[in-house]
Amino acid sequence: METLGFLADGFAIALQPANLLWALLGVTLGTAVGVLPGLGPALTIALLLPITFSVPATAAFILFAGIYYGAMYGGSTTSILLNTPGESATIITALEGHKMARQGRAAAALATAAIGSFVAGTIGILGLTFLAPPLVELALQFGPADYFSLMVVSFIAVSAVLGSSVLRGLTSLGLGLLLGLVGIDMQTGQPRFTFGLPELLDGINVIVVAVGLFAVGETLYLAARPKYHGSIAPLKGRGWMTRSDWARSWKAWLRGAALGFPFGTLPAGGAEVPTFVSYYVEKKLSKHPEEFGHGAIEGVAGPEAANNASAAGVLVPMLALGLPTSATAAIMLSAFQSYGINPGPLLLQSQPELVWGLIASLYVGNVILLILNLPLAGLWAKVLAIPAPWLYGGILVFATIGTYGISQSPIDLILLYIIGGMGYLMRRFDYPTAPVIIGMILGPFAEQEFRRAMTISGGDLTVFVTRPLSLTLLIIAAVLLLGPILLRRRMVQRRSPFRHHHDN
Amino acid sequence: MRRLARPEVLLSLGVIALGLVALDQTWRIPVSPLYAKVGPTAMAYAASILLLGLGVASLIQAWLGRWQIDAEAEASEPVQWRSVGWLLAGLVLNVGLIGPLGFVPASALLFACTARAFGSFRPFRDLLIGAVFAAIAYFGFAKLLGINIGAGLLEGLL
Amino acid sequence: MMQRRDFIRMALYGSAALSLPMAFGRSAQAQAIDTLKLFVPANPGGGWDQTARSMEQALKAAGLIKGAQVTNVGGAGGAVGLPQFVNQWKGQGNALMVGGMVMVGALIANRSPIKLTQVTPIARLTGEYQVVVVPANSPHKSMQDLIAAFKADPSKVSWAGGSAGGSDHILAGMIAKASGGDPKKVAYVAYPGGGPAQAALLGAQVTCGISGYGEFGEQIKAGKLRALGISADKRQPGIDIPTLKEQGVDVELVNWRGVFAPPGVKPQDRDAMIDLMAKMNDSPAWKEQLKAKDWTPLFLAGDDYARYIEAENKRIEGILTELGLA
Repeated sequence: METLGFLADGFAIALQPANLLWALLGVTLGTAVGVLPGLGPALTIALLLPITFSVPATAAFILFAGIYYGAMYGGSTTSILLNTPGESATIITALEGHKMARQGRAAAALATAAIGSFVAGTIGILGLTFLAPPLVELALQFGPADYFSLMVVSFIAVSAVLGSSVLRGLTSLGLGLLLGLVGIDMQTGQPRFTFGLPELLDGINVIVVAVGLFAVGETLYLAARPKYHGSIAPLKGRGWMTRSDWARSWKAWLRGAALGFPFGTLPAGGAEVPTFVSYYVEKKLSKHPEEFGHGAIEGVAGPEAANNASAAGVLVPMLALGLPTSATAAIMLSAFQSYGINPGPLLLQSQPELVWGLIASLYVGNVILLILNLPLAGLWAKVLAIPAPWLYGGILVFATIGTYGISQSPIDLILLYIIGGMGYLMRRFDYPTAPVIIGMILGPFAEQEFRRAMTISGGDLTVFVTRPLSLTLLIIAAVLLLGPILLRRRMVQRRSPFRHHHDN
Repeated sequence: MRRLARPEVLLSLGVIALGLVALDQTWRIPVSPLYAKVGPTAMAYAASILLLGLGVASLIQAWLGRWQIDAEAEASEPVQWRSVGWLLAGLVLNVGLIGPLGFVPASALLFACTARAFGSFRPFRDLLIGAVFAAIAYFGFAKLLGINIGAGLLEGLL
Repeated sequence: MMQRRDFIRMALYGSAALSLPMAFGRSAQAQAIDTLKLFVPANPGGGWDQTARSMEQALKAAGLIKGAQVTNVGGAGGAVGLPQFVNQWKGQGNALMVGGMVMVGALIANRSPIKLTQVTPIARLTGEYQVVVVPANSPHKSMQDLIAAFKADPSKVSWAGGSAGGSDHILAGMIAKASGGDPKKVAYVAYPGGGPAQAALLGAQVTCGISGYGEFGEQIKAGKLRALGISADKRQPGIDIPTLKEQGVDVELVNWRGVFAPPGVKPQDRDAMIDLMAKMNDSPAWKEQLKAKDWTPLFLAGDDYARYIEAENKRIEGILTELGLA
């Protein structure tokens, strides 16, 4: 097969000692920036762009790819240990991951995240290697109406994180929808909910909200009730996954990869949405749904696999068509330009060495990350043995770095702390915080696509049912939403065929 | 027994207030005569009204005493306002001083106040640890990536 | 042996990259420009940021400065960063802000209390022309086809581009107006950045699209998109696209980028900066940067530049008003 030959050439490039070192440098740097909330791979690569003036193209791209992949690993580490997501795609990981950590199972959570990322990352890169052209054709079929329907399906994922009360869960969702609206409306250029502050024109960063709700809110909550300090259980076992952990993880990894990769290839897919959907799927399919919210390992394994597979998916339109569909991809493409390479649909033909070297280095980087992260899982988990005063002091300083470091605006810090205060109240009164994040990400997405669809169709609402993709997605949404209700009703009827229903 | 859950009522009122503020802000969104089948306010109205409706529903629930909060937190112990106070002081100091003093001193103070809130009584040791931690973070940021995360007096010497 | 050399070279480059310019403001500010402070009112990676970093590279290579320090304050087309530059950088003789046409529009559309007239214009450096494209299988073969369709039923012609009120939207409005249509009737579909907009065009989800030539160039060359017109005053070398003007649409638009000094700088500082930019513009290092990035040189300095900005301000305010955005 032709592809295999190219791939072999790619490996010949990626496995050169110098390039291996670049990959190592990249994944290390990537892990470091992934750990910091607010500082993502896009910014890091942008800041390292000048390097393109002094090193060969292949080396630079191997470095950048390492940063990209490393950031996904790093982001999950802080989500699990400190409840402080470093990347928006690892916010969902914190839900179960941090609960696991508090039960003394941090090492197992980190291990399932690392192995899951490796498995899904590898599946994603395999997909990138062999399926890129047909996938891109499919992805381009998605129009605004189809995206909107896809978002309708994704919104169902909220049901997995509603908590004990639907009313409070939906209130959290509504809050997230409002927060997502802040800033200039892309379609009409009008400012919304900005209260006249220029700092709010660009909207509120979802990482600020996640870190505020999870890390700052949690710290306030614990400070208010210090008896719960002891609730971080000492590490259990030798930091390795048990047999049952493996049994519960491997299917979640595969399902996460199967969700994440196609989402990533969509020009407007994003890495966050598949993590929500994966979480929902795992909760629905788990034999232990009652453990969700209290540290279910599937809830870490699935979303972690999904975000890494989607990271590979994002590279599909970039390498196959020269389409940058994420901030990181856009900056990597601008690096191509520094080398006089014009990224476009002909990139694969005109620069096969570079592209295949890059793809091969993704495989290599993924292996390096696993080798680095697995032994480190036990070591990282020891972070939780730090005495509470310093641990929480460190977490707050940490949260400040990312927020203030990028924008250098006290407004962002104030926002972080206000949201932290809200997080405290929500925690105190048993409002779930995850729906805020989901609303904040899905809300604007769904709104913009809906309005794009309406502008294109001239206000004709039937586009959602006349387009086959959109119709299929809406039917899926209806089945997911109404299926369980209808099923339950039939079960009740069957069980009591002669009795009338109780009035209540 | 039907008991009026006071904090819950207040919280519901808070949600309602938030919904009202959002509705008010939605009215203020300028709508341009631009061609757009669905304008910038549609979603804003939907979200505001959703929140308002949910607020009213929770108020009714709270009023009827049907709102059950997980017993775990409720029953255990009263809120330690002193700890919360230390923490809030740390946050306020951090916001206020990060501009004039720079990242490292402001972070060290935040660190020490947080440590105090969590029961540490050796402020000078905590300040020192906080400063070292913040300095390492600062150094990593500024030197590795060239991001200026708030240079103050101390950072200039590094 | 080669590996060893590679390794050493890499270690050197690595350490160079890891100690990116981080000179502190207070270090020696003598008459000569030791440290040029560059203010970018956008996030790293975008066009203005790339301009700043290319400037840094070229100026250093040409020996005109010893080092530069880039500060990014991104958001809202520059409307977030500008107030900071005006208020906190006032009077600093060794500072320059990168900005451009997008900023003119963003300040008007956001009703910013701070105006571009408050900073000191130094020089316009580069520009990029915009192109109107349709999917390869589109029935529209020329601008006339597209305009005829627009005039027949504006709601049936959807235009993809960047955020509302940005340069792409402005051009769409200008085209509508020049061809006797109503700019407000343009069914504009805004996308975040070139990638998603291109995807919508490649998938034929929209009728046509507008973006900088650099964004669409490769897709056009590959035959995946068809370019109907370019917003230049005359045909551009190496770009085989008819201008809008020669097709009877009297519209010209260039997405220019330039630099500004803060308000309140001394006249000699201003002159020194103009001189610095002129020298950079003539340097081979800068020409190399222009070539690598595919930017059109459009050098214009001092008072001419100030007058140009004033004219641009009026023109863009006019079209934004007609679009209903100002």
